[in-house]
Amino acid sequence: MSLLRVSQLRAGYGPVNVLDGIELHVDDGEFVVMLGANGAGKTTTMRAISGLIPRYGVIEFEGHDIHKASADSIVRSGVAQVPQGRGTFPELSVEDNMLAGAYVRHGADGVHDDMHKWFEVFPRLAERRHQRAGSLSGGEQQMLAIARALMSRPKLLLCDEPSLGLAPLITQELFAVLERLNRDERLSVLLVEQNANLALHIANRVYLLETGRIVATGSAEELGADDAIRKAYLGF
Amino acid sequence: MELFFQRLIDGLAQGSVYSLIALGLVIIYRGTGHLNFAQGEMALFCAYCVYQFGEWGIHVWIALPMGMAVGFMLGALAEVTLVRPISNKSPFAVFIVTLGLFTFLNWLDGAIWGNQNLPNSGVGSKQQSYPSLFPNARDDFWQPFGVTIRYDRAGILLLVLVITALLFLLFNKTKFGLAMRAVASNTESAKLAGIRTNTVLMVSWGLAAAIGAVGGVVIAGLNSNVNLGLMFTVFIYGSAAATLGGFDSPGGAVLGGLIIGVVENMSSGYAQKWIGQDMKLAVAFVVILAVLLIKPSGLFGTAKVERV
Repeated sequence: MSLLRVSQLRAGYGPVNVLDGIELHVDDGEFVVMLGANGAGKTTTMRAISGLIPRYGVIEFEGHDIHKASADSIVRSGVAQVPQGRGTFPELSVEDNMLAGAYVRHGADGVHDDMHKWFEVFPRLAERRHQRAGSLSGGEQQMLAIARALMSRPKLLLCDEPSLGLAPLITQELFAVLERLNRDERLSVLLVEQNANLALHIANRVYLLETGRIVATGSAEELGADDAIRKAYLGF
Repeated sequence: MELFFQRLIDGLAQGSVYSLIALGLVIIYRGTGHLNFAQGEMALFCAYCVYQFGEWGIHVWIALPMGMAVGFMLGALAEVTLVRPISNKSPFAVFIVTLGLFTFLNWLDGAIWGNQNLPNSGVGSKQQSYPSLFPNARDDFWQPFGVTIRYDRAGILLLVLVITALLFLLFNKTKFGLAMRAVASNTESAKLAGIRTNTVLMVSWGLAAAIGAVGGVVIAGLNSNVNLGLMFTVFIYGSAAATLGGFDSPGGAVLGGLIIGVVENMSSGYAQKWIGQDMKLAVAFVVILAVLLIKPSGLFGTAKVERV
């Protein structure tokens, strides 16, 4: 059984449907990448799964239908999203950002241990633990957004274009961390990217999104072997 | 010199009321970015309720928490039924809705309690004057070093400081306070962290109105009666206090209120001839203008600067 199963997903803003029947799934422990051009509907898909916008169709997480659930109960069930841009609380300290990430957990059990653990993974956050998140650099804020999401102990991490606006070296570092989390912590990941080269190296499977539909799917090697797809989406 | 301290203390007590109204405004502004024009009238409704509880023979220290509970429900109800349905459509709509609530509440007070000063023996009030939280008879004062400190003024100031301290603990030391700060900072990320943002906003409005209720009871007590126009100037001073302190800073709101109260009392006291009672409002605003020219986000407000 898939961890996440999405079928016939339609969603949008106001009367406009951006998504026109998305079909995708993420298995337990998988690292799945979704590629697509600007405006293809990648962010809308993520927002629909997380319950931030009204949506129709089937969204199942661990076999439970969540397509009508509220955003907070979806987090409680084990799905955490790192939104596009900086998903942090700029006025709050780094530590308070992490604690807010643990909001859905009951009691303080292990919260500080977890914080310590992610501070080891992201040592630069540890150095700045008392600083306001808004004063961090773009890369540090993106790391904080990921750490914040991990504090809820998710089974599935949704990552919406974490590389946006970051220097290539920082992006590489970030993806290395995501790969390690997937491998060592058995964290399932659904990652959206526009610029695909790096993401393809760590992906188990890839979906190609075009104007609200999945137009191709397969392993990174399969999609990389298709000339037309490679030219249009991978740029090499 | 005694007179100076006298006016300082009177000003601080007066300013405490502005602080309470400003605190309510700041709590709502931080959560939603809206200015609640009905803040003063919500407080007035609660002040009328406390008068009514007094008529029923309930002691003021029991009537006050009851009035705060009424305020909490009123604020929470206003958020859920009036503000929430339109808040993501247009900020101007919220502005109009809170103005509408302002007029509605004032009409409601008049419809229930009439338009005369209360208590009023003419309408059969049992109470002599509006219930005071602290002893306020003619001889209820200390006189250290020749400065007259009336018990009620000192008590009010103390009460406001206690409320401020409790709010500080709520914001900074509790999980719910963390949620409130998170929602204020980034509502969407708060949702993605699993925070029930709707509940947080509802409670914020309730809390703001409950704190405002204390302000209403205190000002009615100082005034020894409650009437329909009681909150008009208090609300103006309260919003000025919030602006002066910085609209997103609770501590700033309290300090802003105290400063305005002191400036108001000093200027009308020391320059009675050419400022007097009529112009003291203007003096307070000149001070605010001067501060905002130098620091546009207020004394403790954070200018929204973000690295990208």
